[in-house]
Amino acid sequence: MRLLALFALATFAALALQTILPLWFPIRGLMPHLVLILSVDLGLRHPSASAALMAFAMGYATDALSGSQVGLNAFTVTLVFLVSYELAGRLLATSDLVGAITVFAGTLINALGAFMLASNPMSWSQIEGAAGQRMLLQALITASLAPPVFWLLRSGKSALGLPLRIARE
Amino acid sequence: MKSSFLWRNRIVLTSGALLLLSLHLVSTGVHPWDRAATPEAFVMEALRPVQLGSARLVDGAIHLFRDYVDLAGVQRENQTLKEQIAQLNSERSQSAELRAENQRLTELLALKNAAHDKLGLDSVAAEVIGSDATGLSRTLIIDSGADSGLKPGMAVIAHEGAVGKIIAASPHASRVLLIDDHNSALDAFDQRTQARGIVAGVPDDGLIMKYVDRADDLKPGDPIVTSGLDGIFPHGMLVGYVSSVRREGPGLFLNVNVSAAVNFRHLDRVLVFTRQPPKMSEPPQS
Repeated sequence: MRLLALFALATFAALALQTILPLWFPIRGLMPHLVLILSVDLGLRHPSASAALMAFAMGYATDALSGSQVGLNAFTVTLVFLVSYELAGRLLATSDLVGAITVFAGTLINALGAFMLASNPMSWSQIEGAAGQRMLLQALITASLAPPVFWLLRSGKSALGLPLRIARE
Repeated sequence: MKSSFLWRNRIVLTSGALLLLSLHLVSTGVHPWDRAATPEAFVMEALRPVQLGSARLVDGAIHLFRDYVDLAGVQRENQTLKEQIAQLNSERSQSAELRAENQRLTELLALKNAAHDKLGLDSVAAEVIGSDATGLSRTLIIDSGADSGLKPGMAVIAHEGAVGKIIAASPHASRVLLIDDHNSALDAFDQRTQARGIVAGVPDDGLIMKYVDRADDLKPGDPIVTSGLDGIFPHGMLVGYVSSVRREGPGLFLNVNVSAAVNFRHLDRVLVFTRQPPKMSEPPQS
């Protein structure tokens, strides 16, 4: 329960930053997807059915503040949770590097999904052009922010007396 | 129990069910205004105080930064003179900011009055307090909501022109889908030639005007205005200007790029029409 409360608080902070920072700085298209990082941490280090529900809720909350298509972020964030969970099981590793790589791939999938499902979908030339470069840059920025976010989450878990990771059954 | 298939695979099965639910939401084209509004309204209301505080902080920070810049240039002056200059500069920059603010508000008020007098449309002024959470879509969050009479589908404008439409409203905040979002489309026409088309956002930033007849003589610089046929924006609201026209390929239509009249990055205040404008039934005539 405390873990879910921690992630609910972290999601609140992430969404606040994601909606406020673009007003301060011209980073609109490059805003890191912080909620995806939280989802990766859940998948890698806290595998449980309630964590899967939490990931879905985090994505749904993002949908409430992004775009006009409901379900896209809920899908991506849950998918990233599932991939992280599977990766942790197959690689037997839950390091920050594995997390950052998963975040990178997840951010790219999220951006591609958003543009492909649009009413005016992106053409291949646009993917190869500036829009594609921006997507890559956003994924890189999000991935590079993953280790510090993981560190913050570890600090939060320690402060609440929570285990840093739960062993898989 | 714990060795059963369902229990062993509960995480994958739960995730799979949630993925299917998400896909269902995406594939059925559920829009924010169709679904149960409670979870979304909760998220918007919970974040509103933080966003509102941040918007105020931005104003304060801009003043502080300007004060700092002003101060940096007069360090070699003596202390008294420096203080006087700093104070004067500070007052000047504040005054300039106030003048600009005054100008924006005056223009917005003039627009509000004009909309009321000429079109009989009531409107509500609102402040922009947040942006899109992922940056992949073009949406804004404003500080007025259902308590001020705002509802999904209402037109949002600035004094420069059309901004977007409300897609979700909680009691004290609303989300606006900008006209340059890749899911946005509005009926518009070229004011010079009366050529009609659909202005839509593209993922790579900017606007395009679709379905413009190849025979139409559009030129860069032509103003593009709303037709009023969509029942959201009133007739004749400026959308932008034609930036380029191409006749590539064998298609029936022109490739028209439009630059928006409104600079969405520097938008801080908007007007929302609280009543739908009368829907035009025929194409506009000059």
